[in-house]
Amino acid sequence: MNMFSSCMITALVILTLPIIMSSTKLYKNKLYPYYVKTATSYAFMISMIPTMMFIYSGQETIISNWHWMTIQTMKLSMSFKLDYFSMIFVPVALFVTWSIMEFSMWYMHSDPYINRFFKYLLLFLITMMVLVTANNMFQLFIGWEGVGIMSFLLIGWWYGRTDANTAALQAVLYNRIGDVGFIMTMAWFLLNLNTWDLQQIFITTNDNFNLPLLGLLLAATGKSAQFSLHPWLPSAMEGPTPVSALLHSSTMVVAGVFLLIRFHPLMEHNQTIQTLTLCLGAITTLFTAICALTQNDIKKIVAFSTSSQLGLMMVTIGINQPYLAFLHICTHAFFKAMLFMCSGSIIHSLNDEQDIRKMGGLFKVLPFTTTSLIIGSLALTGMPFLTGFYSKDLIIESANTSNTNAWALLITLVATSLTAAYSTRIMFFALLGQPRFSPMILINENNPLLINSIKRLLIGSVFAGYIISHSITPTTIPQMTMPHYLKMTALAVTILGFILALELNLTTQGLKFNYPSNYFKFSSLLGYYPTIMHRLTPKTSLTISQKSASMLLDSIWLENILPKSISYFQMKSSTLISNQKGLIKLYFLSFMLTMILSLLILNYHE
Amino acid sequence: MLKIIIPTIMLIPLTWMSKPNMIWINTTTYGLLISLISLSYLNQPNDNTLNSSLMFFSDSLSAPLLALTTWLLPLMLMASQHHLSKEPLTRKKLYISMLILLQLFLIMTFTASELIFFYILFEATLIPTLIIITRWGNQTERLNAGLYFLFYTLMGSLPLLVALLYIHNFMGSLNFLMIQYWIQPLPNSWSNIFLWLACMMAFMVKMPLYGLHLWLPKAHVEAPIAGSMVLAAVLLKLGGYGMMRITTLLNPLTNFMAYPFMMLSLWGMIMTSSICLRQTDLKSLIAYSSVSHMALVIVAVLIQTPWSYMGATALMIAHGLTSSMLFCLANSNYERIHSRTMILARGLQTLLPLMAAWWLLASLTNLALPPTINLIGELFVVMSSFSWSNITIILMGINIIITALYSLYMLITTQRGKYSHHIKNIKPSFTRENALMTLHLLPLLLLSLNPKIILGPIY
Repeated sequence: MNMFSSCMITALVILTLPIIMSSTKLYKNKLYPYYVKTATSYAFMISMIPTMMFIYSGQETIISNWHWMTIQTMKLSMSFKLDYFSMIFVPVALFVTWSIMEFSMWYMHSDPYINRFFKYLLLFLITMMVLVTANNMFQLFIGWEGVGIMSFLLIGWWYGRTDANTAALQAVLYNRIGDVGFIMTMAWFLLNLNTWDLQQIFITTNDNFNLPLLGLLLAATGKSAQFSLHPWLPSAMEGPTPVSALLHSSTMVVAGVFLLIRFHPLMEHNQTIQTLTLCLGAITTLFTAICALTQNDIKKIVAFSTSSQLGLMMVTIGINQPYLAFLHICTHAFFKAMLFMCSGSIIHSLNDEQDIRKMGGLFKVLPFTTTSLIIGSLALTGMPFLTGFYSKDLIIESANTSNTNAWALLITLVATSLTAAYSTRIMFFALLGQPRFSPMILINENNPLLINSIKRLLIGSVFAGYIISHSITPTTIPQMTMPHYLKMTALAVTILGFILALELNLTTQGLKFNYPSNYFKFSSLLGYYPTIMHRLTPKTSLTISQKSASMLLDSIWLENILPKSISYFQMKSSTLISNQKGLIKLYFLSFMLTMILSLLILNYHE
Repeated sequence: MLKIIIPTIMLIPLTWMSKPNMIWINTTTYGLLISLISLSYLNQPNDNTLNSSLMFFSDSLSAPLLALTTWLLPLMLMASQHHLSKEPLTRKKLYISMLILLQLFLIMTFTASELIFFYILFEATLIPTLIIITRWGNQTERLNAGLYFLFYTLMGSLPLLVALLYIHNFMGSLNFLMIQYWIQPLPNSWSNIFLWLACMMAFMVKMPLYGLHLWLPKAHVEAPIAGSMVLAAVLLKLGGYGMMRITTLLNPLTNFMAYPFMMLSLWGMIMTSSICLRQTDLKSLIAYSSVSHMALVIVAVLIQTPWSYMGATALMIAHGLTSSMLFCLANSNYERIHSRTMILARGLQTLLPLMAAWWLLASLTNLALPPTINLIGELFVVMSSFSWSNITIILMGINIIITALYSLYMLITTQRGKYSHHIKNIKPSFTRENALMTLHLLPLLLLSLNPKIILGPIY
């Protein structure tokens, strides 16, 4: 018997058990978070079996089981695609989620609705699994929308806070703009290829895939927070830190990139879309790296760095290396989730203080968190032989040796160097130097839930890249030979970024704070993007809907043209035509006149 | 069909002879039983129709609407209990009788096989609805609303009568089952254009088409809860049903006559959704969202492809259940806050967590979350309009975005945020209300498992 599909289905079914459990009494139990965590870890272990088998034999499977409906010539059935991408990503996502769930047992322990929080996390994980393993676009869309809605619920977890609600709505809005692209692509495929099944889409030849691929690019832009639809990601930091670690760093936000990777068979021959993707990714990675430079909120910095890394993944897709982009998704999940968990640990220890200017000297009080944060940052910058190196270095190398748009590649390099700069800034302000937080706080990080979860990801951040990249051979072969100065570029710019940032921090520390320059304002105000787009657009559209749609059209024109004018004309014409005016005095007067006349005539008739 | 109609008629004596404390429970259970009978019509073994008699038939287009109608009566009764608790017994009985009468007319409308019969019943549904709105509405504005409701729909449908007489004259029959075989293509002439308009306007007003929709928000806002529910869930669908039935008569004129109405619907769908963004009145918001959803149905019916018909049918059923549920939720708020203004009801999640879950699910189905049948309906409509013209995806896309925005705006304003002090001592949600929401949601969820029973005749 082949264990391949059965194990995978078992792993997926195990995840649904705690959801079913939530309708029983066990849900009231204090142990419910523990059940959820354990279910996730079991699912991870079971999913490792087919992954091992896949690594060993390279077999890919499509499970097609429940026939949902057939609409004329279109068959829609539940079907799972267990190929390279899903087989590798599922265990990675489960592993990261397992650690994050353990972390949230510590982080959210005082929340009265912790059970519901875990249920939401698990529901999110299930929708993510649906998204990753879907074999047709409809199922993909279920997962796609599912993660969006779960992100809405989880960002708005603290629903009493206005900011959280706004951020949640903002996330849905930007994601919905992307969804329009997705729906358009679905419509196009239905119309031209008459199928939503991935393998059928890929074997069909059509000359012009520009329109559906543009739709997919729009979808990816929305979901993966690429430039122009990016502001929701930093705003989403209003949610609890475990949510940021799970949704907004490692799983949900990479869904857009994942979608493009899934559809790369259509994309690899389409130069137009590739160039667009490349430029979009490059702009995103530079812009968000610049924004990250001057933020003071630790979570915002990490969020912008996530956005920047997502831009890097887009760049990788743009230079036609989807497998490298996928590798970066997997490695990025480990250290970025860990970075968020470390910042969560710091924030929780400092009584919900997120400002890095009020931290400092944490290496003494939080040694473990400090270690992990530094390793995570180094992995993020692509320090050799940490996890990030295995994907990031390859990406920069293949970018350097490819012959596409040099500007895009150059700004990617600049962004790489800035990655080191803002990582230095976190370390410098939060961990080193003198403490600037309140001395009355009792800081204790010795909780096994915290230590174990971070430790697991720490090991992942050190070794996962090595393990993944050595067990899986990238199928699109990156450039193997290059001059040594190109080989060293990635490392050189990173080290340059480190040194520059460190020197700048050290030299400017004692100096008087000048009136900020325009460059500083551009960066700290996020490129004026939210100021313009979040003020002007809603104001104009809401004014239009109020003034023209609601008042002018509905309350004035439509009212006046039909009902009001008809009743007006009826009134006018009836008053005009009828000679009854209600003038009682006159009527009686006329009566009197006639009476008198008749009296006169009758009496004097002789 | 008599096995539904006669029990429905017998509901009236049941109401009047029940003991005072049993009127609600008796009618509700009995209504539920009737709705179980109607479920059997969902099984359409033949490709064509189930003919019950010379007068009545049902096919896969009318069966889902029939089931929706019968399903809604017990729900309306459940929803109205609190609203009528202060009324004297006779009036309660009268109210229930009106709802039953409305259901009777609706059942017969959906199953009538003759166009004139259909027309008479179509008009007859106005009477109980008018009485419900103007007698049991909450404010004096209700009289105005009733006036708008009556005159808009009557004015729209009177030309239809003339058109039907004319069609009967030259075709010899108005039987749905026969005319689809006898029909000749209409030649293109001015008189036939007016024939097209006369036939379609009645249903366009009922849907309502943007521009002729003013009666709907007024009627919805002023009607008591059962009135709003039945208006949103079933009466609007009469328009869609009628359009889908009568377009077979009007080919090939629809091909070019559809353009202005398509444009108006596409434009109106965005306009009404953006009105939703600025609504402060909860019921009015839901009413405008109905207009926007129904515009999609009009577009789909006018496109006249198999996919668009499937989309229109699915969307009608889905929207019927969703908007009815939203009205119930709005009413449960109204019974506690005594105001329809959304800002007065903020932060309810803290106080009524289960109700917040219903709100969430209702909003999510309203914004067409996959894999609900709302999504199937909207997706099919979007697909068919995309194939009709690629540019419509822009308008559809804008509408999709705005729909999500106002649904979640409604959710966030009423449920999230800090609660205000005047709602501290509100009543908890009753089992009756929770059961009501469940009974709305269950069909929605179950239908997503097997949507093909509501995809209409062309499936």
